[in-house]
Amino acid sequence: MTTAATRSRIAQVKSPSGKRNTRRALIGSYVVLAFFSVLYIGPMLLLLNTAFKTLPEFYRDPIGLASGFNFENFTEAWELANFPQYMINTIIYAGVATTIFVITSVFVAFPIARGHVKGSGALLTLYVVALFLPPALIPQFQLILSLNLYNTRQGYIMLFLVNAIGMIVLVNYIKSIPKELDESASIDGCSYPRFVFQVLMPLIKPAIATVTVLHAIGIWNEIVLPTIYLSNQDYYPITRGLVVFEGVYGSNWPGLAAAVLMLMIPMVILFLFLQRHIIGGLTGGAVKG
Amino acid sequence: MAVVSRQYLFGRKFVPVLFLLPGLLLYLVIAFGPSVATIVYSFTDASGIRGATVNWIGFENYDEFMFRGVASRDNIDALQRTLIFMFFVTSIQFGLGLVFAVILNQNKLKGRFFFRTIIFMPVILGVVIQGFIWKLFLLPRGGPVAEIFGWFGLQSEFLGGTDAFWWVIVVQIWANVGITMVIFLAGMQAIAEELYDAARVDGAAGWQLFKNVTWPQLTPAVNTNFLLNIIGSLQAWALFLVLVGYRNGTQVLGYLVYAEGFGQTSGSVTSSFRQGYAAAASVVLFLLVLVLGLSANWFVTRRERKYMA
Repeated sequence: MTTAATRSRIAQVKSPSGKRNTRRALIGSYVVLAFFSVLYIGPMLLLLNTAFKTLPEFYRDPIGLASGFNFENFTEAWELANFPQYMINTIIYAGVATTIFVITSVFVAFPIARGHVKGSGALLTLYVVALFLPPALIPQFQLILSLNLYNTRQGYIMLFLVNAIGMIVLVNYIKSIPKELDESASIDGCSYPRFVFQVLMPLIKPAIATVTVLHAIGIWNEIVLPTIYLSNQDYYPITRGLVVFEGVYGSNWPGLAAAVLMLMIPMVILFLFLQRHIIGGLTGGAVKG
Repeated sequence: MAVVSRQYLFGRKFVPVLFLLPGLLLYLVIAFGPSVATIVYSFTDASGIRGATVNWIGFENYDEFMFRGVASRDNIDALQRTLIFMFFVTSIQFGLGLVFAVILNQNKLKGRFFFRTIIFMPVILGVVIQGFIWKLFLLPRGGPVAEIFGWFGLQSEFLGGTDAFWWVIVVQIWANVGITMVIFLAGMQAIAEELYDAARVDGAAGWQLFKNVTWPQLTPAVNTNFLLNIIGSLQAWALFLVLVGYRNGTQVLGYLVYAEGFGQTSGSVTSSFRQGYAAAASVVLFLLVLVLGLSANWFVTRRERKYMA
């Protein structure tokens, strides 16, 4: 049975009415997409437009087109909102926490994936059940408090050193790497840490990229934890800074829109470049059942 | 046939285990331990003040949460609201995500990658940006949605009014339907084209193809989305924080835990740092997640057996 023969038979079967059906389906699809595009692109365009308006212009007509490219909102928000400081904080938190998380997690994921530890299945379950367990919010706060780490950078970073989903992604990916490599590396007298850094990590780069991006995005966007743990403005990440800015300049929508846009643009660029990794990480395993 | 027996990999057997410890300890201390300890805290009168003594008070918190006074009535309302939120978010997000996936899985559709990107984009932006964008979009005076409402003679205060809860549902779905969609899409792309060919030979088209090929073959993605949506929407509350704040008539359980535990004003009553009580509320939410999650899982495995047999 050749598929070519099958296909030509299908072509016969579906020819006249089939084609009309596909066309109708396509037209219907475009109608649905047109409607939802308004909901997805509309708010973004509104944000962009608002960011370039002057305040009186905005109050005269919130949805009218901006009269020109007025960059004052951006410079104003940048200076008034203390954005450089917040941005640096966020980058420090995301950078340090993600690095520590990824390295320690690879060292956990490898023995679990290979079954080098007794009960590695049970260990993995320990990570899976985290999705159901009650939020760690309150005991975590008590822990940070008792360690004297409330309102410190170290304490805040500590909260982001683990990620159960990331661990599961790593374990699943390492399982797909042939075991023979461990063995030959071991025979060559390669030490274990060197093996992990120089052999394993390059091999699991796609998984590391996914986990890194997802974890860093989570830290970048976090708003609840900085609200709980950081009271000193100097330590605020950019999300918290934005909310505070909003509290002070609540009615200055153009200024706020400019600030939001500045927070958003790095994410959008990152997403466009790493879309494949991000979506791959979210869907990996989900469809295999 | 292993060349080296496992024991001697990298010199000594315990070397990989030794390096595993830091990561595992971090996980136990920062995440897993505190999660479980929530249950312990729910039986105490812990506050958020350092050095304050913590007393064991049994089921006191639960009793107060469920059965005592005006507050308990508000709590039951919040519990019901959480279920309503879950019901609408899960069903609409699931349905809409499936529709998007079916539409954007057509190879003949122009711009399908563009549409996938814009629908998924909000997922990346996080609640602060999502919230701000929608506050602007739903501006009650002269905002675009208000204008459109005006054409039909409708009026709403949107996030500032009595129907704020429903608008949060809209934003929640808008923000997260992208995840549901990509999981469905990944599932659809794993379906072998031959199955469709075979069905077409049998004369199937359109809806029949979906019903007899796509839907049963999509079972793993359907199950994942169903479970993720239920659990996710029960636990979600951050959009309430950024869109409406802690306001009567809009509270859900997740927000209640935060507000009780970390001090927020609710109406005229200032609650502050009642962490034992908040832990009890947190356990109630956990039980809800557990019961609904397990029932959904039971339902899903039964369905899987039906299709995969």
